[in-house]
Amino acid sequence: MISLQRVTKTYQTPAGTFSALRGIDLEIKAGEFVAIVGKSGSGKSTLLNLLGGIDHPSSGSVTVAGAALQELTETQLAVWRGRKVGFVFQFFQLLPTLTSAENVMLPMDFCRTFPPRERRKRALDLLDRVGVAPQADKLPSALSGGEQQRVAIARALANDPPVVLADEPTGNLDSVTAGAVLDLLRTMASSGTTVVIATHERDITRLVDRKVEVADGGLVAATASTPAAVPEARR
Amino acid sequence: MTAPWQKAIRDFWQESTRTVLVVLAIAIGLAAFAAVLSSYAVLTRAINEGYLATNPASATLHTDAIDDALISAVLADRDVSDAEPRRTLWARIRTGPAAWRVLGIFVVKDFGNIRLNKLVPEHGAWPPATGEILIERDAFQVARAKIGDTVTIRIGKGKEQTLHVTGGVHDVGQPQARMENCVYGYITLDTLARLGEPLDLNQLNIVVAENRFNEKHIRSVAQDVKKLMESRGHTVHDVDIPPPGKHPHADLMGVMLLAMSTFGFFVLILSGILVVNLLMGMMASQVRQIGVMKAIGGTRWQVARIYFSQALLLGIAALCIALPLGILGSRALCGPLAALLNFDITSFTVPLWVYLWAVAVGLVVPLLAAAWPVWKGSAISVREALADFGVSRNTFGSSVFDRMLAGIGGMSRPLLLAIRNSFRRRTRLALTLMTLAAGGIFFMSAINVRASLIQTLDQWFASKKYDLTVVFGDAYPSDKIERALKNIPSVVRSESWFNAQGILPPRPGASTLDGERFFVDAVPSNTKMLKLDIAEGRDLLPGDVDAIVVNTVLAAKSPEMKVGNTISFRIGPDLTSWRVVGIAREPFPPAGAYIPQAFMDKEQRHPGMRNTAFLALDSTDAASVNSVKDNLERNLQREGVRVLGSNAKADMRVGVDAHMLMIYVFLVVMSGILVVVGGLGLATTMSLNVMERRREIGVIRAIGARPSTVWLIIVTEGVAVGVLSWALAALAAWPVSKLLGDALVRLAFHTKLDFSFQLQGLFIWLAVSVIFSAVASFMPARSASQITVREALAYE
Repeated sequence: MISLQRVTKTYQTPAGTFSALRGIDLEIKAGEFVAIVGKSGSGKSTLLNLLGGIDHPSSGSVTVAGAALQELTETQLAVWRGRKVGFVFQFFQLLPTLTSAENVMLPMDFCRTFPPRERRKRALDLLDRVGVAPQADKLPSALSGGEQQRVAIARALANDPPVVLADEPTGNLDSVTAGAVLDLLRTMASSGTTVVIATHERDITRLVDRKVEVADGGLVAATASTPAAVPEARR
Repeated sequence: MTAPWQKAIRDFWQESTRTVLVVLAIAIGLAAFAAVLSSYAVLTRAINEGYLATNPASATLHTDAIDDALISAVLADRDVSDAEPRRTLWARIRTGPAAWRVLGIFVVKDFGNIRLNKLVPEHGAWPPATGEILIERDAFQVARAKIGDTVTIRIGKGKEQTLHVTGGVHDVGQPQARMENCVYGYITLDTLARLGEPLDLNQLNIVVAENRFNEKHIRSVAQDVKKLMESRGHTVHDVDIPPPGKHPHADLMGVMLLAMSTFGFFVLILSGILVVNLLMGMMASQVRQIGVMKAIGGTRWQVARIYFSQALLLGIAALCIALPLGILGSRALCGPLAALLNFDITSFTVPLWVYLWAVAVGLVVPLLAAAWPVWKGSAISVREALADFGVSRNTFGSSVFDRMLAGIGGMSRPLLLAIRNSFRRRTRLALTLMTLAAGGIFFMSAINVRASLIQTLDQWFASKKYDLTVVFGDAYPSDKIERALKNIPSVVRSESWFNAQGILPPRPGASTLDGERFFVDAVPSNTKMLKLDIAEGRDLLPGDVDAIVVNTVLAAKSPEMKVGNTISFRIGPDLTSWRVVGIAREPFPPAGAYIPQAFMDKEQRHPGMRNTAFLALDSTDAASVNSVKDNLERNLQREGVRVLGSNAKADMRVGVDAHMLMIYVFLVVMSGILVVVGGLGLATTMSLNVMERRREIGVIRAIGARPSTVWLIIVTEGVAVGVLSWALAALAAWPVSKLLGDALVRLAFHTKLDFSFQLQGLFIWLAVSVIFSAVASFMPARSASQITVREALAYE
């Protein structure tokens, strides 16, 4: 599903060239739940941005859901992103002037993925799946942080993307709510969606299939979770 | 340069597009202000130098022959500083095959020593020799003559004579010849003799020694002079006292300058609003920076000073554009105004005080506009400022209005997003709407005022059932005129009337001199030439003898002019008494009244005499009107009837329309400028909105919006604001048009309009609003669509 080959990313800064990523090779299979962990500034957000086509690699190739991202234009990337990738952000990033349901319907509107009449029903289904169906017609300002992140996850799933990318999805939530959100992501992965999260969470190992550690722009080690944990979680 | 100044400049530089927009908007307002101010300075100076330099007469006494002894006696009066005799006579002039025109001939005793109502020689000969005539420079076009031509002149019943045009003069005191549609000519006494006229000079122009601009004083001096002349056996028919020191058309110029300065001030306020918007946006986006500056020891005043200096920079930059633009604008304004008043502007030099005012206003307006947002923005505490998450976290949904907006559905989400977003920054929205709506209101007012003017004129002209008026040089027996009017092809109907001048008694408290003058038409009882629009009371009826219908212009001049009242005024030397039976609506001057013809037909008046003819024609194109005029002249000449002039109704209408066009053009230009300022305001607002929503735009892009979709959402938001401003303008258009139309017309003509509201104005303005707001949001939308997702998400 995801394949990175010899990917580097450098930024030109006034202080000189800064290498954010150096020679990354990474394969992620369909339906895998992968955590990218690392310290602040280690390059995990950059890596996630490359996977989502938000940023271009300086060299190497990034293939996600069958598309070689470095070859696509901005407009092609937008279309690809809308259909193939769902994003979940640390600060939820719901659009404040749209209700929960409307926020979920927005990607469907952008990508014209479902017939207009079915969009609301699908949005309500998704909100139900993440447990915030009663909040469907409320504006984000009326929701708690946990509820907002659930709506954001529903929005990420709007176009039924094969890949969901989450950047610190629990960074702004209390531990109970954070656990619930991670469980939700686990469930998504178990039902076949490839989920990649960048996180600080220490006990993430319990839930993910694999942990990828990034330090100073390179991969430290790819750690598989205990095989037993996977079927456990999938149930 | 200190660090705060550096910050002020660099912050602006960072957002250069928006800064340029706001500077342009302020510059437009300032330029309008500076243009009006310098026009005022240049024109008043030119009037002083031009008109007052001719030493205009304080009063003119019309009498019989003036001799040197009389002048010496008048000059002996210590209140009179100078006196000079002249003669004015009315004649007709024709150049080659051109039609006859009215000619005012001014006979000057000594061209080498004109001390009052001075003339300025401009071209050709000076002074004119015997048999020569000089023509007022603006009248050459009316006479269709040029220097070197021979013109035909006819005075009274005399025969046609020819004179050589040998020069052009500038007579500043005369109203523009083209506007009055007559020719002014200047000749010597010898030429007058050759024309076969008696050599009398019958007008005495005097200038008072003191208080030259005090009308009351002038009246009393003129009264003394009149008594003196009468005591020496002269008859004084009439005393003219023009408004002292005032050019005949100065009022019109005053009205225009007043309207323009009101407008310039208005534009200035609107551009000030833009500064408020800009600085409110900037203060909001810099909350964290303000926090940091305070944390490292900046006081509130030190922080505020940075932003005030930005406002000052805006003003300075705007001044650099506005001053030259305003000066250029004033030249464009002064030219036509001076031509209208027939005086020259010798120097466009703008006095220092105009520059000082413009600079003061240019610096103070942005500072004043900045005061509130800056002072409020700089009040935030360090803790609040550093805890701020940035502007995109404002909580939409906290008010009832937000929740109402959230209730709107049935549209696609991108459209909903655009519409709801436009309501997020409500103060900013309100300010933007104000500027945009102002343009719309003025535009619709322009259309409505024009339509109302046309309707008012249509109604007025509809009361005149004739196509051609012919004025005779004297009163003639009606049978002569009737004979002449017979058998002229294309004349459907004709009538001959007697027209006289009425003179109201002087106002109580004023001197014993005459009051207002007005026309008095003696109307045949069964007239088919006039269908008065009776506003009050009734029209004249057959059998009426002492009944009078006054027009609204005359009625406005005296509180006595009420239906049912008895009024008295002079016709010729006799005081007459009348019962007001009706008031006829005639919205534009002159003042006048209608009386039964039976009055003039009385034995002791002018039985059977007529001095005016009205003709209704079956075709009113210029060619057939001219052929009727030719035929009529020939017939009248055969009957020995002298024609003073003839006027086609269509020509009169063209003249009136030309005056109205000025008001219309003025309003349209005004709305155009306002629209530009409003558009700059909207562009500023949209660019602030885009800046504040960078992160949201990034999110939208991340979840699959194409750059073109982002572009469309922003443009839609701008158009939503445009449509909203249209709705506001549409609501205000009716009352404002009515007020504005009435105010302008009252100022210029002392009358009221028949108001007419034009629906098409609403539709045109809707189209303009949509197009203009789309254009104004184009650039901000483009920059929004070019933001990359990574930049947008990283933006704080």
